[in-house]
Amino acid sequence: MATPAKEFAGGAGNTVIGPSILISGKLTGDEDLTVRGRVEGELTLTNTLIVEPSGVVKANVAVKNAIVSGVVVGNINATESVELTKEGRMVGDIHSPRVIIVDGASFRGRVDMGEVEPGRVPSERPARPLLRPAVRAVAPPKPAAPRPAEEKAKPAIKPVPPPPPPAARAEGKAPPAGAKPPVPPAPPLLAEAGKKKVVVKKKAK
Amino acid sequence: MAQGEQIGIIGKGITIKGSLTGAGDLVVEGRVEGQIALKNHLTIESTGKVQADIRAEELTINGEASGNIDASSKVAINASARVAGDVKAPRVVIEDGAVFNGSIEMEVKLPDDI
Amino acid sequence: MANTVIGSSIVIDGEISGDEDLVIQGTVKGKISLKESLFVEGSGVVEADIETQNVEIAGRVTGNIVASDKVELKTDCRVVGDIKAPRILIADGASFKGNVDMDIKER
Repeated sequence: MATPAKEFAGGAGNTVIGPSILISGKLTGDEDLTVRGRVEGELTLTNTLIVEPSGVVKANVAVKNAIVSGVVVGNINATESVELTKEGRMVGDIHSPRVIIVDGASFRGRVDMGEVEPGRVPSERPARPLLRPAVRAVAPPKPAAPRPAEEKAKPAIKPVPPPPPPAARAEGKAPPAGAKPPVPPAPPLLAEAGKKKVVVKKKAK
Repeated sequence: MAQGEQIGIIGKGITIKGSLTGAGDLVVEGRVEGQIALKNHLTIESTGKVQADIRAEELTINGEASGNIDASSKVAINASARVAGDVKAPRVVIEDGAVFNGSIEMEVKLPDDI
Repeated sequence: MANTVIGSSIVIDGEISGDEDLVIQGTVKGKISLKESLFVEGSGVVEADIETQNVEIAGRVTGNIVASDKVELKTDCRVVGDIKAPRILIADGASFKGNVDMDIKER
């Protein structure tokens, strides 16, 4: 679908959130995402998240790779790697088979280098204070004879459904406006467009 | 003995159980189980295995360490290292390839509006 | 060139606000408030109320649009919702359903 040529070079497959932009809510996608502004809520990507020095991500994140040069507050699950560069600052837990923290980066939270299921957003639990005794000396108390399958299903699994292709949605189905998950409390927006939420339903053509 | 330039080495064949304190630098190529409290720099070489709570000024890990780590300046977990435990230090570096499980506590200066 | 681009595979469910141009090639549901221009490209799908200075729409928009300057509906776009702006352009081939309000109050 050709659009009239525009001056902006919207490089295919790369999304950029500019420095003045605030997104609050849920963001999913299959391409790289560069954050120079601010993203709050939940972020699920099958590719790489790049948080540039001006970028702030206050969200739970499920990605393939994350490169953090800005600020991340929240937990990151990455199926491949997480790198905090020398400007990176993060508070939260990292779950990824490869974790790289460069000198100069600052980090507070847990690191778990176990395998990660793709697309699984870390649970909402905020980064808790780290006041635990030694390593894995004490295993957490387990319920009597848990079967492995049960155990695995226990942590707050929140499978994120793959985004339906836009074309399929446009074919006349009304969007499930009622099924919208609550958006986390948003900070005051730049414009006080205090209007209602999306109410207009798509009519079947 | 308490000279800062002093370097102690715990060789490959040595196992120490108990607590280890000192003021000089220490290189561990063998095994230590217990506690380590050092005023200066502790290096765990790739052959070294330490199961101990560690306090030091600076810590460089190329081998294995499990236990809680408290360093007053820096902890470097190098590519060949395997570390489990909670780390507290102003600077913590994890190289690509290192295996680390546990928590890290550095001071993180966040923007005011977070 | 602080361009924000929401790529074609991206789905955002929530609110977007900002002071710069925004290009949407993907899907945005919720609300958009900008102080600059919004471009909804051919692949873009917006189910959101929009408040901005300018909007150019080549894709699909469902929601009410309030623009302080101009709304432009391009060929092949599909827009359902009410539009309020001092200047509104609807190209041949655009499809639009809703009310148009060009009331110029502050002039």
